[in-house]
Amino acid sequence: MPDKPYADPKAPKLTAPIVEHKKHAEEVLADEKHKTKPEDLPDFDEANP
Amino acid sequence: MTYRPVFRRQGDGSRCGWSNCGPASYAMAADRHRRGVDPRTPHGWLPTPSEIRNYITPHSCGATNLNQLDVATTHMYLVNMDVRYGIPWASFQSLIISGRGAVVQILYRVIAPTRFDGSPGFTGNHAIYVNERRASDGAYLVYDPLADGRRPGIPKGPQWWPASLLKAAAYAMPGTASGTVNASFTRDTGV
Repeated sequence: MPDKPYADPKAPKLTAPIVEHKKHAEEVLADEKHKTKPEDLPDFDEANP
Repeated sequence: MTYRPVFRRQGDGSRCGWSNCGPASYAMAADRHRRGVDPRTPHGWLPTPSEIRNYITPHSCGATNLNQLDVATTHMYLVNMDVRYGIPWASFQSLIISGRGAVVQILYRVIAPTRFDGSPGFTGNHAIYVNERRASDGAYLVYDPLADGRRPGIPKGPQWWPASLLKAAAYAMPGTASGTVNASFTRDTGV
């Protein structure tokens, strides 16, 4: 894992037309590297009443 | 207008309630994914945290995770969401703007000192449901299943969280790649 935050240079500007966001979203979801759960990722915890 | 699901609180008196942030968040996400349309399966509709909990751990209150929850809602409600790990923040924003909701993993320690704290003293790993982004100020409409207004000082129902707060809480989730978000996305339901 990198020490610095990941960037996403392909991400559209927030004000870009929604069609650009839809296209980018499909590309991100198709990226295999995001589909594997990190081994050290914990489950959720019990909260307080 | 973006479809807004029915808010579900995890402390609803059902079994394992205070461990049901995942089932409650996924119940709301499943509602959004289907835009409230009943899939006509043998399970109840609208989705409830308790029914999802009972599918995952019928005899215990073990912790849940995104993959377990996705298997459950796929089976129960035909809601097969996209579970993704290590998503850059800019990508996350784009996915929400594109017309998707998301169950997001956060560390509640970041929320505890703010007015959005729904469980005083709780600082652990938590699930919330994010429905949409507001263009005017970049805030996100967050359905925190702990925000049930059960006492004065505890927020009630969906709240607009500043983007900086949501991002910080998601980044702080243990085991998360630096500067990324783990989340499960609904289908694009339109905006």
